[in-house]
Amino acid sequence: MKKRTIASFILILSLLLVCGLPAQQKPAQSGGPDVAVIVNPLNPVENISSAELRKLFSGEKQNWPNGLPVNLFVRAANAHERDVLLERVLHMTESEYKAFWVKRVYSGEVQHEPLALFSNGMELEAVRAEKGAIALISIQDVHQGVKVVKVDGHLPGTAGYPLK
Amino acid sequence: MQRIIGILVLLACFSPAGFSQTQNATPNNDQQETIRALMQEVNELKARVAALEAKQNQPEQAPQPQATPQPEEKALAGAPQPGASGPEPLPFIRGIRFQGFGSVTYKASDASPSEQGASLGFRPGSAGNFAVGDVDLFLTSQLSNRTSVLGEVVFSEQNSGEFETDVERLLLKYNPSDYLKMSFGRFHTATSYYNTVFHHGLWLQTAADRPLVVEFSDHGGLLPSQAIGASVTGRIPSGPLGLNYILEYGSAATIRPQITTPDADEIDENNGNEITAGLFLKPDFLPGLDVGGSFYHDRINPDSDNLHIGQSVASAHAVYTTPRFEFLNEAFLIQHKIRETGQTFNTPAFYTLISQQLAGKWRPYFRYQYVNASTASPLFADVSLRHGPSAGMRYDFNDYVAMKLQFDHTIRRGLTSFNDVLAQMAFRF
Repeated sequence: MKKRTIASFILILSLLLVCGLPAQQKPAQSGGPDVAVIVNPLNPVENISSAELRKLFSGEKQNWPNGLPVNLFVRAANAHERDVLLERVLHMTESEYKAFWVKRVYSGEVQHEPLALFSNGMELEAVRAEKGAIALISIQDVHQGVKVVKVDGHLPGTAGYPLK
Repeated sequence: MQRIIGILVLLACFSPAGFSQTQNATPNNDQQETIRALMQEVNELKARVAALEAKQNQPEQAPQPQATPQPEEKALAGAPQPGASGPEPLPFIRGIRFQGFGSVTYKASDASPSEQGASLGFRPGSAGNFAVGDVDLFLTSQLSNRTSVLGEVVFSEQNSGEFETDVERLLLKYNPSDYLKMSFGRFHTATSYYNTVFHHGLWLQTAADRPLVVEFSDHGGLLPSQAIGASVTGRIPSGPLGLNYILEYGSAATIRPQITTPDADEIDENNGNEITAGLFLKPDFLPGLDVGGSFYHDRINPDSDNLHIGQSVASAHAVYTTPRFEFLNEAFLIQHKIRETGQTFNTPAFYTLISQQLAGKWRPYFRYQYVNASTASPLFADVSLRHGPSAGMRYDFNDYVAMKLQFDHTIRRGLTSFNDVLAQMAFRF
């Protein structure tokens, strides 16, 4: 019984390996304009570090220093801003991002995953409307009514800006 | 104006909303470019419509400037004017959001006599090889910006193939700040890292089953895994160290089956109120690292007989997880002190699990677990000393379904060692 059990295990394991090896996950690809971090103009934050940005977009930090709850808005899949979020901020693939938020919500640490929006215009509207909002948006799509914050002391379009 | 709206509607049909149904498919570069171009056009048209509407409604106001400001100007752009009324806040998402977890498991074992505990849906004495296990319905509802409800209802497969309903978690949560988050209701205790992260969702965990020490008590596990009461957690100002605390006070309700004697009655611990205190740190310099420990204490009166026992559980964990790598380590010391006789029984236990994602969807893993309970223990005599390795492979078909294959070897004191093979489809929906 023992030998048969071990043999079946090895056989099934080998089959799984052979069948699944070609399946490769496509890594997130960025390449495009700088992506700005925008907040509501009433938010006093002017500068944010890369570590804080990761904590915000991973739900670890849920309140701004002034006590306002953080409202996360992200672009839906297949957007440049989404790629930058995954590759530069969270270091995850799309699948890993989904699994990460399922775990976060399920553990009860956060109330819900970030709201995914289908356009930069929607992101702008959301950030204008929500005092605690934060979102990532391509620099050319930034319009009035939102505030661009520095990341690690750099503004988008300048040397050393990390969200390229 | 109507023509612009017409174009907008037409373009919306091709917007990524339509693509959301097939977002798992990878569009080629041409499609992505087309989508982006269309979205850009939609945005521009939206802006024009908004400008036209604003002009029609408020002809006296000057049109909004369309030029994109330079970066230095953007930092100040849009600063609200005193007395100006901004857009209305977005309503938060109301209603109940459901999520489900399920699994189907095949188990073959050469344990003699049979030692199929109650985990994964396999019931003591059952001769079948397949079980559905727990069907887990997880629901959340946001009541306000800081208040929410979390519920987890589990339907557990029973001996006769019927299902028993169990409210595993029901919490009213209030989070006034990152330093103070309160929960009231039924929760999984902070006696272990595993208990507070994986709960009943088998899809979430890498291995096919839980290590015995952190298995749910109604499945044969050793820890008091559930309680009803209040839980407070939050950050402690500690800079880059990322120190956090957790405090729980409530009533545990532990009923545990005996894993080696299927016909024996379950032991009802009749727990008194429990208190748990824990500290853990998540340092900034290594995201994914979680190191900490907790202490649990309550008084129990198993099966309401003459023994009154003080139960304490000390635990420590060192965990490092990234999306592709997982290294879980937890150690426990469970102490039972009998008031009537003065006897003390210590049960040390630990498990370690390491896994690494390969080739995108494959994740081989290795686990070793150890429990050493005295054969004279009033609660864990059936467990005795047992330890052994588990090796397995997880394959994620997509973001919802995973296949796991696991081999366990268990060495027991005074009994022959045995092997298990588990094949499991775990999914979320």
